[in-house]
Amino acid sequence: MAGTQLPNDPYNIIITGVGGQGNVMASRVLANMLVKKGFYVTIGETFGASQRGGSVMSHLRVSKKDTWSPQIPKGKAHVIVALEPTEAIRVLADYGNPDVKVVSNTRPIHPAGVIAGDLNYPAIEETKKTARGISSHAWFIDATDEALRLGNPILGNIIMLGALSGLDDLPLDKEDFREVIAESLPQNKVDINMEAFDLGRGLLKE
Amino acid sequence: MKIFGPNELLEAVINKNLCIGCGACIHLCPYFRSYKGKTAMLFPCTLEEGRCFAYCPKIEVDLDELSQQYFGRSYEGGPLGNYLSIHTAQAGPKVKKASFQAGGTVSALMSFALAKGYIDAAVLTDKEGILPVPRVITDADEVLTCSSSKYSASPTLSALNQAMTDEYTKIGVVATPCQVLSVAQMRMNPLEKEDFVDSVALVVGLFCTWAIDFRTFAPFISERVDITTITKVDIPPPPSEIMEVYMGEEKIEIPLNEIRELVPETCSYCIDMTSEFSDISVGVLEGRPDMNTLIIRTDRGQKIVNEAVQEGYLVIEDIPEENLEHLMWAAGNKKKRAFAKAKEEGMINAEEDKKSYLRLQPKTVKEITG
Amino acid sequence: MSALLDKKEGAEHLLMGNEAIARGALEAGVKVAAGYPGTPSSEIIESLAGVAKDANIYVEWSVNEKLAMEVAAAASFAELRSLCVMKQNGVNVASDFLLHLAGSGTRGGMVLVPCDDPGALSSINEGESRFFARTVEIPLLEPGDFQEAKDMTKWAFELSEELKQLIMLRSVTRLSHASGNVRFGTLPTGEAKARFRCDGFILDPDEGIVISAPVDYKHGQQHEKLKRAKEIFEDSPFNTYEGPEKPELLIITSSACTLYSREAISILGLKERVGLLKLGTTWPLPPKLLTRYLSLAEKILIVEEVLPFLEENVKVIAAETASEIGIKKFYGKNDGTIPMVGELNPDYVINAITKILEIEYLPRPEEYAAKTQGLAFFGAPQRELIFCPGCPHRASFWSIHNALELDGRKGFVCGDIGCYTMALLPTGFTTLKTVHAMGSGSGLASGFGKLGQFGLDQPVLAVCGDSTFFHTAIPALINARHHKSDFTLVVLDNSGTAMTGFQPHPGLEVNAMGDNVPDLDIAEICRSMGARVEIRDPFELEETRATLNNLMEDNEGLKVLILRQICGLSPEKKAGKKYEMAINEEICLGENCGCNRVCTRIFRCPGLVWDKEKQVTRLDEVICTGCGVCADICPAGAITRKEAV
Repeated sequence: MAGTQLPNDPYNIIITGVGGQGNVMASRVLANMLVKKGFYVTIGETFGASQRGGSVMSHLRVSKKDTWSPQIPKGKAHVIVALEPTEAIRVLADYGNPDVKVVSNTRPIHPAGVIAGDLNYPAIEETKKTARGISSHAWFIDATDEALRLGNPILGNIIMLGALSGLDDLPLDKEDFREVIAESLPQNKVDINMEAFDLGRGLLKE
Repeated sequence: MKIFGPNELLEAVINKNLCIGCGACIHLCPYFRSYKGKTAMLFPCTLEEGRCFAYCPKIEVDLDELSQQYFGRSYEGGPLGNYLSIHTAQAGPKVKKASFQAGGTVSALMSFALAKGYIDAAVLTDKEGILPVPRVITDADEVLTCSSSKYSASPTLSALNQAMTDEYTKIGVVATPCQVLSVAQMRMNPLEKEDFVDSVALVVGLFCTWAIDFRTFAPFISERVDITTITKVDIPPPPSEIMEVYMGEEKIEIPLNEIRELVPETCSYCIDMTSEFSDISVGVLEGRPDMNTLIIRTDRGQKIVNEAVQEGYLVIEDIPEENLEHLMWAAGNKKKRAFAKAKEEGMINAEEDKKSYLRLQPKTVKEITG
Repeated sequence: MSALLDKKEGAEHLLMGNEAIARGALEAGVKVAAGYPGTPSSEIIESLAGVAKDANIYVEWSVNEKLAMEVAAAASFAELRSLCVMKQNGVNVASDFLLHLAGSGTRGGMVLVPCDDPGALSSINEGESRFFARTVEIPLLEPGDFQEAKDMTKWAFELSEELKQLIMLRSVTRLSHASGNVRFGTLPTGEAKARFRCDGFILDPDEGIVISAPVDYKHGQQHEKLKRAKEIFEDSPFNTYEGPEKPELLIITSSACTLYSREAISILGLKERVGLLKLGTTWPLPPKLLTRYLSLAEKILIVEEVLPFLEENVKVIAAETASEIGIKKFYGKNDGTIPMVGELNPDYVINAITKILEIEYLPRPEEYAAKTQGLAFFGAPQRELIFCPGCPHRASFWSIHNALELDGRKGFVCGDIGCYTMALLPTGFTTLKTVHAMGSGSGLASGFGKLGQFGLDQPVLAVCGDSTFFHTAIPALINARHHKSDFTLVVLDNSGTAMTGFQPHPGLEVNAMGDNVPDLDIAEICRSMGARVEIRDPFELEETRATLNNLMEDNEGLKVLILRQICGLSPEKKAGKKYEMAINEEICLGENCGCNRVCTRIFRCPGLVWDKEKQVTRLDEVICTGCGVCADICPAGAITRKEAV
C-alpha cells in the first residue's frame, strides 16, 4: 500500500460507463475514501438526460493542496476506470496520453444503434488491443460476470474499485472502503461489497 | 414474377393511392396493418423481398404466369377469363333461409364446403355497422352471419393470412376480384419458401365493378343518416341504379351516381369483373334479385358445385343467352377501359428496371385495347 | 443523521455543489425552502427535504417555479429566511412575480438560486438567469467553488436582510453537480417566529403593505439598494485576485470558469504572466475594484459561459473610466476568443490564452494524438439517448405512433419537458413534433385545435407528464375546453417527476418531506373541466392503441387519455421483476420476412440484443427489467413472459 503521496498532483481519475451502471455511486465512494485520507477531491459528473443509456463520465481530481476544475483538461488523465469496455476507448481518445493506465470491465452494453444494426460494436479482443496501444498498461476484468456470481450485477462497479486499489497508485485501503459504504448502505449489504472489493483487487493483482 | 420489398410496395402502391386495402399484406408481419379500410405501414422494413410485395394485386402481377399455373395457358384476355361452364344459381332447400342477398349461392357453397369437410376454415367478410370485418369461420351454421353484401373495400385477406398462421390446411375464401388475384399469387409460393404448403382449398370469387372507400363513405353517409342505426345496405341488380340504406324498417335511396364519386381511383385500373382466378365465381343475375350468376372455372370448383347440387345445397340452371351476353359485354368493357388506362400510364409491361402493374404478352394487350 | 446537519464547526465533507448550497442555507437558519425539480438544481431542495424534520424547517416541491417563489416570499414577508430554487428556465416561469418582488422588497432574508445549464447537458436551452438579476435589478452572486457555494449562500441571506431585497445566487451544472471538499461553519440554534406586519405606515418596509407601488418611490428605493450593494461588493472577500502585479493579460471570470481559468494558467505555467480576477459579486459590479484591476493590464480576457454578461458589464465600467485606465484590448465572447455557445472547460481557456499570448501548447505528443484520431468513432459506437429498459414511455409512444399511422390523417404530437421529450428521437419512434417549455405541448395543441377553420384536418395530440400536468398544462386545458379546441391530451402518468429523480407532485399522497398529503386526481380534474377522459395501462398495447384511435376520431373538443404505469426506476419497480422473460431461438424469425427484427431494430429496448452470428434476438438478463411488453411486440411468439416468483 502506498503512503499518502500522490504520483501526481492533481492526480486525475476518470470513471466511465453507461447510464445506470452505478458510475456516480462508484465515484462518490472513491472520493469519500480519499477525503478520509485528507485529500482535496473534486468530482465532475454528467447526469440527468445523459444518464438515459448515454455515455457517462466522472472526473476525479485528487490533490494534497487544492480544489481543481471538475473537468480534466484533454489528454491529462492518469487512470481510466471503465465500467464498459468501449467507453474506455471513447475516454482515451480525448483524455489519454502515453502514461495513462486503464482498468476496464469486459462486459459490453450495446448502444441502441448497435442493437438496431446501424452501428458496429468492436470485438473485445479488438478493444483490448486498441486500449493497450494507447496506454501504458490496460487491465481487463470480467467484473460484471464476477458480480453476477456474487448475485448482483451492480457490484461490478465495486469490483472495479477494488481493481483500481490494486494499482497501488492511491492510498485506498479496505477499512476506509468499509467505513464509506457503511455510511450509505444498510449493514447487511456491507459484507458482500467488501467481498466484491477484495475480489476486484485480487483480479488486478493476478 | 418480379419481387421487391415493402419500401417498393409503399412507393409504388400505397403512396400512389393504388392500395385497395385487400388485406394481402396484413398479418404477415408487424409492419402492415389495416384500420378502417386503410392499409398503413407502421414502421419501415428494410427487406429487399417480401411477401407483402409479392402478394399485392396492384403491382407486378404476371397474368401469363398465373394463367399458366391455374389454367395451363397464357392469359388471353377474354371478358370472363377461363371457365368450364356458366349457370344461374340459388341456395337450395338444405340452406336455412336467412338474410342473404340475391340467391344466397355463396353462403350455400361455403356452408356446404364446411359441412362436408372440403374446407376446415372459411375466410369471409362480416360487418360491424357499415365497416366490413374479415372473419375466419369454422362452423357451417355461422356462415350465414356473414352473408350480406358489402360495398366498401375490405381487408379480407388479412383473415386468410391469419388462418394460415393458425395452421388451417384447407381454407376456403370468399373474395373480390382483386383479392382473388392476390390469392392466386400467394398460392404460387413467390418467395420460394421451403416449408410452403398451399392451404387454400377453395376460392369463391365475387363479381365486382368497384368498391367504395370506407374512409369517404362513412362521412358521406353520416351526412344523411345516423350511421349507428344502419342495419343493411343493398345495391339491387341493374338497371335500378340506386343504393338502398336500411335503418330497420326505414329506408333511404341514394343514386349510384353519387356513390360512384366515392370509388377510389385504384378501381379504375381493375381489369377483372368476375374474379377470373377463382375456382367458382358468383355474382348478381340481371333482372333477378333472387338469383345469382355462377361461373365454374376449375375441376375442384366443378366437383363442389356438383355435390352441392346433389345434396340440395344449391339449385342451378342454364343461364339465359341474353344474360350471358350482357355479362360478357359488361366485363369486357371494364377490362378494356382498365387496360387502356393502365397502358396509357405506362403501368403495363414497364421496362425491366421499373415496376409494372401488369405483365402479359404485348399482343394480348393490343387485342384487348383494340 | 445526514452529514448536512453535522454540528461540528470545521468538519470537512465531500459535498455536491447543490448540497453545499443547502448547507449554506442551513447555516443561515433558513426556515422555508421551495422549488420545482429541474436538472441541475434538484438536489438543493432534495437535500433540505431530507433534513427538514431534524432541522425543523418547511420544504416543498411546489407546483411550479412561480409558486415556489411566492411560497418562499411569503416566509420572507413573515420575517423568516427563505430559499427558492429552480433551473434556469424556471426563472422565466417565475419572472412575473420576480419583477414585482424585486420592486416590493423582502423582509426575512430571501435567496433565489437558479442553476443554469451551460451546454444544455440536461436541457433543451442554454437559458441565462443572470440577465434577470440585471433586468429586475437585484444583486447577483456567483460562487466559484464548493466552499464558496456554501459560504456565499449563508452570506446571501445576511445581505438580503441588510438590503431588504431578494438576492440571486446563480449556480451552474459544473458546480451544482460537481463535488468537492467543504469545511463547515456553525448551525444556528435559535428559533424564529413568523409574523406578518402589515398595519404600519403604508411605505414602511417592515410594517407597511408589500407592493412594488408607488412605482417611482419603490423603484427609487430599489436603486438605493443597488447602490448600497455596490459599496458592499467593493470589499467582498468573494472577489479575489491572484497573479503578478503587472500581468501581460488579465483574466476576469466568475463561477465554474474560475476553476477552468486557474487550471489553464497552471498548465501553461503562466502564473508570472497572467493575472486572474475572480468575481463573486457579479451584479452590480463594484466599479472601484474593477477600475483598480483593469488598470493593471492592457489585455483583458473575460471568461464566462452562455451570454457575455460579465463582458458587457465590465466594458461599461471600462468605457466610463477610460480616461483613468486607458484604452484596453478586450477578448471574450464578442470577438470570438471564447465560444458564444456551449459550456467551457480548461481547454477552451488554454486555447484563448495561447492565442492571445501566441504560445504553443500540445496537450500530448503529436504521435499519440494521431493514434487516437477517429478512435472515438470507430472504437466506441455512439450512444444515443434511449428510454430505460422497462420504461412505460417506450410502450406509450409505440401505441401513440401506431394509432397515428393507422389513423392515416397525418396527426401529430406536441410534446414538452420530461423524460418523454426523448420521444423526438428513435427511442420514442420520433413521435414528438414540437418541444418547448413545460406545458407547452398542451398549449400549442390548444392552438392547433382551433385551426380547423383554416383547413387543418390533421388530428392534434399533446403529451405531458404527470408533474408537468400540474405545473402548467392545466391552464392550457382550461383554455382548450373553454374555446372548444379539438385535441387529445395523453398524460404519461408514471407517478412522479421521473426525469429529475422521482420527486413527488400534487398527484401523489406524499410531499417532499415524506408527510402524508391529499392527492389530486388528474382524471377528476380533467372531467371537472368537461373533458372526455379515459385511463389505460400503457403496457396493454392494443387496448391503448384502440382507445387512442377512438379518441382521435371523436371530433368533439377536449379528450384526455391517462396512461398510468409507474416509472421503471422507481424504488417499487427496482425491487423486483414482474415477469421472467425468455426467448425461444428456434421460433425467432430474426431478419426473415414476417419480422425483420422488429424488437431490436424498431422497439429497441436495451434488454434485447441482436445476436449477429446466430441471427436471433437474445435477452440481456442483466438489463431486462421484466416489464413483459416485448412479448406483445414479437410477431412469432418467440418472446414469452411468465410471472416472476
